Amino acid sequence: MLERKLSAEGVRRLYDQHGPALVAYACSFVTDAAAAEDVVHQIFLRLLSAEIAMPDVPVAYVYRAVRNAALNARRGRQRNAPLDSNATVFERLDGNRESGLALQEALTELPEEQREVVVMRVWSGMTLEEVAAASGAPLNTVASRYRYALEKLRGKLQPYRKESGD
Amino acid sequence: MENHDDQFEKYLGEFQPRRPRALPEPAIHWQVSPRRLAAATAITIALGASLWFARKKSELSGGVIVRKDTALIPESKLVAQPLSLLLLTQLALEAPEQLDAELTKASRRVLPDFRGKESTLRVLAKE
Repeated sequence: MLERKLSAEGVRRLYDQHGPALVAYACSFVTDAAAAEDVVHQIFLRLLSAEIAMPDVPVAYVYRAVRNAALNARRGRQRNAPLDSNATVFERLDGNRESGLALQEALTELPEEQREVVVMRVWSGMTLEEVAAASGAPLNTVASRYRYALEKLRGKLQPYRKESGD
Repeated sequence: MENHDDQFEKYLGEFQPRRPRALPEPAIHWQVSPRRLAAATAITIALGASLWFARKKSELSGGVIVRKDTALIPESKLVAQPLSLLLLTQLALEAPEQLDAELTKASRRVLPDFRGKESTLRVLAKE
């Protein structure tokens, strides 16, 4: 795989584009919005301070780095800590905090590879082909993971969808 | 089914993940190589030394700066060249007729002009 150095401007662009999705992703490991934000912030600070050689798809590298850092952060905390309802990662346009919290919880319950595909696709705005390239999995596998993930999330969020009339 | 997924995907898109705090502005890191540092030090020392010597020289000469300002020298002195004895001897030996011409030219430069209307000799002669 090709490796290249990412400029500070490139790192900032990556942060603007994928930062929020990465916080959501990290939150599924650490179950604490503030800690998730810290994890993502630290990864990008490290990228800014040192010119790390990145693979051809920097997003893949950043997702891996965030995952590892979040898992490390989780080791220092209580594993099954309850979600902090005052610091939700997701905010809905209509301001419904409960559905945001439910989504966060539902994402945490997904298998890791399914969760990754959903976050990359929905909040990082990547196509399934891009997700496949980033995760190194075949496109068909990625598509299946995505479909299963949506099915599970749909079941979990059904009550909130009815409330909002979607 | 796909339409179903699209609708749900759209619903999920209505949730916005929290935007992390902004990255700090990049600090300017000066990367000074030892070579550059050595060169800069050498230049600074050389400049300092030359400045010190210039000041010392100025103090020794009583603070008076000697300038070779050609504009202050009278034109007559600039024109008047001292006769070279060597040149005149050579001319006398090799070309006596040129020696006369050179002497005439030199006398016009060196001696006061008596041919002008206001020349010193003419004024004296009138008196």
